[in-house]
Amino acid sequence: MTDQLDASAGAAAPPAAPVARSPRFRRRRHESGYASGLSAIPWLIAPIVLIAGVVVYPAIALVQASLSDYSITGLRRGSAGFDNYIDIFQHDDLGLVLWNTLVWVVVVVALTILFGLGLAQFMSKEFRGRTVMRWAIIIPWAASLVITARLFTLILDYEHGILNQMLVTLHIIGEPIDFLGNDSWVMPSMILVGVFVSLPFTAYVLLAGLNAIPQDLIEAARMDGASPWRIYRHITLPLLRPAMLVASVLNLIYVFNSFPLIYTLNDRNPGFTHDTSITYSYKLAFKAAERSVGMSAAMGVINVLLILVVVMIYLRIIRWREVTQA
Amino acid sequence: MNRRTQAFAVGITGLALTLSACGGGTGGSSESDGGGKVDSIKLVAAEYSDKTQGFWDAFAKTYQEKTGIKLDVQVVSWDDIDQQSSTMIQNGNPPDILNLNAYASYAQDDLLYSADDVLSPEVKSDLLPNFVTSGTYEGKLYGMPDLSSARALFYNKDLFKDAGIKAAPTTWDEFAADAKKIADLGDGVAGYAEPMGPEEAQAEFSIWMFNNGGNWKTDGKWSINSAANVETLSFLKKLADDGVTQNNPGKTNRTDGAFADFAAGKAGMVVGFSPLAGTLDESKKVDYGVAPMPTNNGDEPKSYGVTDYLMAFKKDGNADAIKAFYDLYYQPDQVNTFIKDEGFLPVTQSGVEKFSSDEKLKVYLDTLTGVQLTPTDDPKWDTVKLAVQQKIGAAVGKDGDPQAVLDDLQKQAESGN
Repeated sequence: MTDQLDASAGAAAPPAAPVARSPRFRRRRHESGYASGLSAIPWLIAPIVLIAGVVVYPAIALVQASLSDYSITGLRRGSAGFDNYIDIFQHDDLGLVLWNTLVWVVVVVALTILFGLGLAQFMSKEFRGRTVMRWAIIIPWAASLVITARLFTLILDYEHGILNQMLVTLHIIGEPIDFLGNDSWVMPSMILVGVFVSLPFTAYVLLAGLNAIPQDLIEAARMDGASPWRIYRHITLPLLRPAMLVASVLNLIYVFNSFPLIYTLNDRNPGFTHDTSITYSYKLAFKAAERSVGMSAAMGVINVLLILVVVMIYLRIIRWREVTQA
Repeated sequence: MNRRTQAFAVGITGLALTLSACGGGTGGSSESDGGGKVDSIKLVAAEYSDKTQGFWDAFAKTYQEKTGIKLDVQVVSWDDIDQQSSTMIQNGNPPDILNLNAYASYAQDDLLYSADDVLSPEVKSDLLPNFVTSGTYEGKLYGMPDLSSARALFYNKDLFKDAGIKAAPTTWDEFAADAKKIADLGDGVAGYAEPMGPEEAQAEFSIWMFNNGGNWKTDGKWSINSAANVETLSFLKKLADDGVTQNNPGKTNRTDGAFADFAAGKAGMVVGFSPLAGTLDESKKVDYGVAPMPTNNGDEPKSYGVTDYLMAFKKDGNADAIKAFYDLYYQPDQVNTFIKDEGFLPVTQSGVEKFSSDEKLKVYLDTLTGVQLTPTDDPKWDTVKLAVQQKIGAAVGKDGDPQAVLDDLQKQAESGN
C-alpha cells in the first residue's frame, strides 16, 4: 500500500517541480552569485588535502610496503614482488586466524544487534531515572578501549579476578575458571567484552530509529486488535530496518577492526591461537618470529579487501531481500 | 573574473604550502648550515618507570649547557618502542640515539656507529667486560649498555615458615620438594610462580637453563635442543604437571602474572630482580628473602643478566654530538643516578664500586661479574627470542612436548642467515 502511495506521489511530482523550483533558484543566483567550479577550489582544498594525506597516501604506502622486503630493523632491502602475499597464504596459522575472525565478527555483531534492540526498546520508554540510565549506557562507549580491556582482564583474571571470586563464593562454580587462559573460554570472554563495548552505540542508533517510527501506525494497529508481539514484528521491526542496516554495517567494520580488545585480553596467550586478522597482522610485524613489516602490510591489504567484500556482500543480501519482499 | 583568479591563486598557494610542509616534516633531523655539524640530536628512550622522563629531561638540559647542542628526548613505552623505531627507520628518519634491548640487527644493517667512532677509550675501559662482550658484533662494540639487571630467587619467608622449610633450596630436587610443601598449604597458594607466557618466557627459561649447564649457543652454534635444555624444560613442565606452580604457567606473563602473585603473597617463590624488590619494599605486604638460584649439576649458581643498549645511528655530522652524549651519560653522577632511580644495576666498574656499599644490592652485585646473558650479539637472536616467547609456553601445557618445541626452535634458529 505504501509502495503505491509512493509511486503515485513520485509520478505526480516531476511536472510540478520545475515550475515551483525555477524562480527560487533564479532569485538565489542573483543574491549570492554564481558558484563556478573554480571558485569552489579554495573550499575543497582542505578536504582534498586531508583525504590525500589521511586516506590515499597511507593506502599507497601500505601497498608499497606489502611489495617490499624489510629487515627486522625496518630498513627496506628492496622489492619482494608478491613474496609477502605468498608467505601469508602459506602461513600455518592463517586458517585459524580467519576462522577466529569470522566467529568474532559474526557473533559479536549478532549479539550486539539482538541486545541492542532490547536495550533501545527499554530506553524509549518513559520511566523515572531514564536520563541516568541513558548516561550510564554511554559510559562504556566513551571510555578508551584499552582501559576497558584492562579492566576486564582484572575482572576475568584467574588469581585476582573479581568474577571468579564472586562465582566461587556464591558456590556457582567450585573451582575458578581461567577465562583468559583456558582455550575454550578465551573467545567467549572476548566476545562478552566485544558486545559490551559495541552495545551503547548500537542501542543509540536503534533508539533513534525507534523514535522515528510514527506513533499513529502503532496506534492504528493496536486499534485493529494486534497483539504487542505482532505489532513489534510487523510494524516496528520492518520500519527499524534502515537503523538496523546502519548499525550492523558500522558494527561489522568496527568489530572487525577491534584491535585493542583482542590484543589486551589475549596478551598472555602465546602464538596465534586466539588472534583475529587485525592482531595477527600486528604480531607479524612486531611480536612474532616473522618480524616482517612486509608480511604485515600484505595482511593489512588483505584485511581491507576482506572487510570491503564482506560489507558489499552484506549490502547485496539486504537489498536483495527488500526487492523480494516488496 | 578578478575574484575567480584570486580564489584560484589562494587555492594553489594553500596547496603548495601544505605540500611543502609535508616535505619538511619527513626531513626530520635539523642540520645546520655550513660545516655539516648538527645543532640538535634526537634520543628515543625506553620507559623503565615513571622516573625515566624526568631523568632524560634533566640530562638534556645538562647536555645542552655543556655542548650547546639541543637534545630532543622522546620516551616511549616498552610496548611501543619496537614499532616506533621500526617506523622511524622505514621512513628513513631514525633517531640519533636509540635505547632498546637489541642492537645486533641494526649493526648488521650497517646503521650504527661502533664504539671506535663515538666512545672515548676511558669510557670504554670502564664498562664491565661481559657487557662489552654482549654488545660486540663482529669484533666491534655497537651496543653500549645503559643499565643492567641480574636475577635471583625470591622466596616468601612466611610461607617458608608455614611449610616448615628452613633455608632456600640449593638444588633442583630441594626446590621441587619445597615448592610441593608450599603448594600443599592449600588456599590457592602456588609453590613457585613460573611465568612462561609471551612477555618474557626467554628470561625464565634462560635462568633455569644456565643452572643446568645449558645455553642457547655452545661454541658459536645453536644448542637450543641440547639434552640438558630438554631436561630443563621437562623439569619446568613437571612442576606445572605436579600442580606446584600457579595455574597455566605457559599463559602467565611476568609483570601482571607471576610478580603480582608473589606480591600478593600467593606464591612461595619466583625468579625476580631488583625492581621487584623495590615494589615489594614499597608495599611491605610480603616478607621476602633473596637467594642464589638452585642448580642441577653441582656447579656454582648462575645468574641471568640483561642489559639494554644505547645505540648510535650514522647520520651526517652527528658523530661529535653523539660522542659528547656518551661522555656525559657515562659520567658516574649521570649513569648511576639513572640506574639508582630505576632500581637496576650498574654497567661500569666505577658503578659497581659505588653501589657495593648498598646491602640490598649485594646479592645481585656479587653475581654481576659472572652473570650469563642471552646471545644478543647474534642478529638471529632478535627473531629467535620472539619465537621462544610465542612458542615455549605450549611446552609446559598439559599436552606439551618439550623435546618437540625445542627441536622446532632449534630449526628456526638454524634456518636462514
